[in-house]
Amino acid sequence: MTLAGRRRTALLALAIALPVAFLAALSLGSVPLSPLGVLRSGLCRLGAGGPALPPTSEVIVWSVRLPRVLIAALVGGGLAVVGAALQSLFRNPLADAGLLGVGPGAALGAVLAVNLGWAQTRFLALPASACAGALVSLLLIYALAHAGGRPSLSGLLLTGLAVSALAAAGTSVLLVATEEFRVRTVLFWLAGGLEGRGFEHALLTAAFVLPGCGLLLLLARPLDVLSLGEEEAAALSVPVHAVRLAVFGICALIAGPVTAVAGAVPFVGLMAPHALRSLVGPLNRHLLPAAFAAGALLVVVADLAARSLDARVELPLGSVTAFVGAPYFVLALRGQEGRG
Amino acid sequence: MKPAIEARALQVARGGRPVLKGVSLALAPGEALALIGPNAAGKSTLVRALAGLLPPAAGEVLLEGRPLAAWPRAALARRVALVAAEDEAPDRLAVVDRVALGRYPHRGPLARFTGEDHAAVARALRLTQIEHLARRPLGTLSAGERQLAQLARGLAQDPSLLLLDEPAAHLDVRHQLHLFRVLDEVRQQGVAVLAVIHDLQRAAWARRVTLLDEGRIAADGTPAEVIESEAAERAFGLVIRGVPTGEGQERLWRFEERA
Repeated sequence: MTLAGRRRTALLALAIALPVAFLAALSLGSVPLSPLGVLRSGLCRLGAGGPALPPTSEVIVWSVRLPRVLIAALVGGGLAVVGAALQSLFRNPLADAGLLGVGPGAALGAVLAVNLGWAQTRFLALPASACAGALVSLLLIYALAHAGGRPSLSGLLLTGLAVSALAAAGTSVLLVATEEFRVRTVLFWLAGGLEGRGFEHALLTAAFVLPGCGLLLLLARPLDVLSLGEEEAAALSVPVHAVRLAVFGICALIAGPVTAVAGAVPFVGLMAPHALRSLVGPLNRHLLPAAFAAGALLVVVADLAARSLDARVELPLGSVTAFVGAPYFVLALRGQEGRG
Repeated sequence: MKPAIEARALQVARGGRPVLKGVSLALAPGEALALIGPNAAGKSTLVRALAGLLPPAAGEVLLEGRPLAAWPRAALARRVALVAAEDEAPDRLAVVDRVALGRYPHRGPLARFTGEDHAAVARALRLTQIEHLARRPLGTLSAGERQLAQLARGLAQDPSLLLLDEPAAHLDVRHQLHLFRVLDEVRQQGVAVLAVIHDLQRAAWARRVTLLDEGRIAADGTPAEVIESEAAERAFGLVIRGVPTGEGQERLWRFEERA
């Protein structure tokens, strides 16, 4: 099949799979409901008539499950787009949000909120504080990397590593200094998960993810040119440093809030772009939207699995994506080595 | 006629070390020049300085009579195309998409592709004779075909000056001949072509050869004049003898290490 044919097939498959996954995620869980009933109730809410579900089921679907499914889609889509953009930028299929230093920064912010007791008493304090931690570490990386003039790509990476290590050290110190019963909150957050997240969290995530992904899509063509190498990009009049810093910053602005709301959700930013690149090609105007849909699908399904695989406890979402992602990646990498 | 590109007493330093030490060189539209010289003579540096990628420490480069620094970046990239020896494009990128990225300076980040862009891409694919490879991912091509795809990207820019850094480095003889025939066609359309060429025999493709040695131009003239010059023997540390082939002006060269 030609690339264009594969691209159409992949997009069609995603366009079908995503609504199906949404419906499944709204219907299934500890209280299984009929998907048909959920569909009718949805039509009823949209004003198209049809019977509603019993009141408790209505609450479960539209107040408990819907925000969670929306967050899962935004988190997955955001991480996948960030991964795809950074992989073009670094010309390396192993680049993802983990390079930005926002994860450890967000963790530090979260632990601080718990340590000071805000997380228990104030609305949205934990995600807001984690978000702030991510942004502060981003600013620190920018400032440090620019202290000696325009940073090289490896300069940015090394600064990111140093700031991450610093934040991780701070997190450890704070954890030790935190009362034991509060440490549990942090551990749950670090493992990644969407339990108890509501519309306010969905709104916080959407406010960063949607504009961020839109901006990255506007930068699709310069990103394509950058993937040809720095020299060729400069010769083709792409302002290499400006585009690099813009993409880096936008990615951090997406990854920061995503990590703050969902904790660590590993491998999504690697898996979704990797799988889609072979289907839709490496041009970012095709890859970014497709990766968003694939990442959304992945995390919606992973979150559904996290809350329904075991009836007694909810599995951490980050563990589910890692259980799937780690073997996928070993296999994918082996395939790549075989190709030389 | 105004030169397509002109370097005046150009000095360029890389990593604090002076590489070009006062190079003056002019190239007319439709002229082809082969730049030769031993390793570390500054050939790649000169090519990149002419492309506006390295700022001069002293002297200046004029494109169509106007200093490079005065050209907006996109306008410069619409006139000057650089084709490097190494192709770093992603393996999954299709040939036609790779060539189409050469239209970036004409369209910028957002504007839609026009008929003019599609025509330029088709023309570049036709000139390099890789139309049949258009849909193939770069990773499935031979080194020679990849090089042609990169050249096609340069041609899609629709430049008035084409700079090539060792375009024949990875090519077998047949692909080399093909490449130089393409460059001849481009030149005949009025494009100034400057190519760094390692193989001195191959450098005779251009009617004008320039020898760069230790950051200075050591000889400039016809292939026979330059390749058989004392300057060339000194630069390469060789004894060079020209042998007429009997076919017009064509000559072969014999190289021997100095005793």
